Amino acid sequence: MDIPLLLLSSFIIAVTGLFFFIWSLRKGLLDPDAAGAKVIFSLGEIGRIEEPAATGAGQRELQRAMTASHGEPDATELQARLAADASSARPAFVLLGFAVFWLLVASLAGLTSSIKLHEPDWLTQYAWLSFGRIRTIHLNAVAYGWAPMAALGVALWMLPRLLKTTLEGARFAVWGAILWNIGLAIGVGCIAVGINDGMEWLEIPGQVGVLFAVGGAMIGLPLVFTLRRRKVEHLYVSVWYMGAALFWFPVLYIVAKLPNLHFGVEQATMNWWFGHNVLGLFYTPLSLAAVYYFLPKVIGRPIQSYNLSLIGFWCLAFFYGQVGGHHLVGGPVPEWLVTLSIVQSIMMIVPVVAFSLNQHLTMRGHFAALKHSPTLRFVVLGGMMYTLSSIQGSFEALRSVNTITHFTHFTVAHAHLGLYGFVTLVMFGAIYFAMPRIVSREWPYPKLIAAHFWLVAIGFAIYFVSLTTAGLLQGYAMVDASKPFMESVRVTLPWLEGRSIGGALMTLGHLVFATHFVLMALARGPKRSGAAILRPLARTA
Amino acid sequence: MIRRHVPDMQAQTRNDDPQRRENLDPHESLNPVPRLMLGLIGLLLVWAVYYIYTAHPNTRPALGDRRNVEVLAAVPSKAVDGAQIFGANCAACHQAAGTGIPQVFPPLAGSAWVNGGDQVLIQILLHGINGSIEVAGNTYNGVMPAFGDKLGDAEIAAVASYIRSQWSNQGAPVTPESVAEQRKRTADRSAPWNGGAELATLK
Repeated sequence: MDIPLLLLSSFIIAVTGLFFFIWSLRKGLLDPDAAGAKVIFSLGEIGRIEEPAATGAGQRELQRAMTASHGEPDATELQARLAADASSARPAFVLLGFAVFWLLVASLAGLTSSIKLHEPDWLTQYAWLSFGRIRTIHLNAVAYGWAPMAALGVALWMLPRLLKTTLEGARFAVWGAILWNIGLAIGVGCIAVGINDGMEWLEIPGQVGVLFAVGGAMIGLPLVFTLRRRKVEHLYVSVWYMGAALFWFPVLYIVAKLPNLHFGVEQATMNWWFGHNVLGLFYTPLSLAAVYYFLPKVIGRPIQSYNLSLIGFWCLAFFYGQVGGHHLVGGPVPEWLVTLSIVQSIMMIVPVVAFSLNQHLTMRGHFAALKHSPTLRFVVLGGMMYTLSSIQGSFEALRSVNTITHFTHFTVAHAHLGLYGFVTLVMFGAIYFAMPRIVSREWPYPKLIAAHFWLVAIGFAIYFVSLTTAGLLQGYAMVDASKPFMESVRVTLPWLEGRSIGGALMTLGHLVFATHFVLMALARGPKRSGAAILRPLARTA
Repeated sequence: MIRRHVPDMQAQTRNDDPQRRENLDPHESLNPVPRLMLGLIGLLLVWAVYYIYTAHPNTRPALGDRRNVEVLAAVPSKAVDGAQIFGANCAACHQAAGTGIPQVFPPLAGSAWVNGGDQVLIQILLHGINGSIEVAGNTYNGVMPAFGDKLGDAEIAAVASYIRSQWSNQGAPVTPESVAEQRKRTADRSAPWNGGAELATLK
């Protein structure tokens, strides 16, 4: 059978099927007035400001910026909201608490490995602090600690609100989280003493990974239970993303960890199928769900277009699964597989642009609110980073670009643009919004929120620019046959130092955030409470 | 610890102000998809089809998986690419156009050593040269490494045939059999040929 022909025809048939499917979900894709999605919303809508960090004057200004017309939510609405939050408070708090812990571990491990790249003689006396292990600890503490704990915590908190019911089976989520974190602690310990499975993103030994599988499934159970008792007809777009992510992750992880199944080139292919999908089909959808919730929530406007949401979601689901192969461009894998992964990487522009347009058109005319709301600031900035990192990623898959950027720091910078610039910033924003509703207390020190924002924003800008530059210089030096290999290392040195400076600022920002989080959880600091809701007050979210 | 910090939600003292002051939960409007988006989708699909069509990924998909050295060795090595071997091993000194570098590395283009009998050429490739040699009217005193250990008979034949057919060279192709024969003939030799003088004795 002719492979190119087979590939081409199956691509065309599949894509035709995809768009027919989307069209059928939403018959009349271009029709401005069909009544499908109106049911979710009770009434009213509109701009009550949500303003954690501003002073009284800032609050009033924000309120004006919002062209608000608001009132007290009606009693049933408020009761439902309080009941929803009460049911999810405990599991969300547990998950977010673990998330903040792993954020600190990951930041310190990441900063250590960053410094080691330009100070290779530093801390060499301990095996567990050698670059190969501490960098791997950094990766796993982010990949299985901070990112999923924060994203799942926020997801569990949003879920009952979006389904207009209470969270069912919260207990499973709490115990699941505990199991998961025991697994992660053991896993990180294994990596520290040098025991691992030898594949990036999958280093934690399979025997320990069982705890992730079981714990993850238990965290997912409340989703299933709660979906069954939903009181809404229409599932809001955030729910699609959360539901899909909670289904995709166990499939990915269990398939990837099946023992004695993957060998040789197929193992490498599977490794990147997993590595890339865990980003695109787990962290990404959970974070997109958060953006889709918090952005319209804070500015009090509906999402621009249900049709764009549909395109964004289903194209992500369809195209993403096959993009992992672009990590193996130039490797000894079947050529059709790499070609397909390049095509699907570029096709990812479709869902990314759909999402970005949807957010931008929703925000249009409300950008002034960014000045005031930390949640909005983090979430909107994160959403923009999603657009940037995704478009960048699409082009990195092209063979011509890959020749330069592959095996350089450029890839690392890109990965951080996605997992930090996008996922992490969005999670910060979400936590700033959710925590006061979880612990029923306000953030004690709004100034710390501002400090956190500027530290991580400036730190990350330095980080990204330095590392991208390092990667490009390194890539061009490596393809230049007249230059010795060491030259490609030497050119990166000043930029790697720059990356450490950026990373240090980010770590400092995380310490500020974690301190604030702990103070709030322990009810320390000034009590910033009050019931005056129609009168703008200096209060926190 | 968890119990202590998550307040009892029924308690009267709880602060429900955040829930009171927030906006309603979000929903989606039904605005149509912008034309720009539809145009972009169309454009990308056309590109995708074009890319797959022109990339024509037609290598054997079975390559690579779970094969060990024995299996790989059994694959007939019929497709040895002389140009590729030249590029990887020779072009750094003799240059891609076979011109060499004046005073340093002798040219292959128009060289009598390349275009003459295949025996001497094969011997040079097998053992290398260390000593002065006259090529196209100039004398060179460089060192050429031996490739006898690095390249197999078929590869030496392929690269020899390649340089004999390039840059207006017109030597006859070299067969792997004659490489094997020459390899056997000087099997005891471990030192490189001592320049043109010793090579001349081979003729």
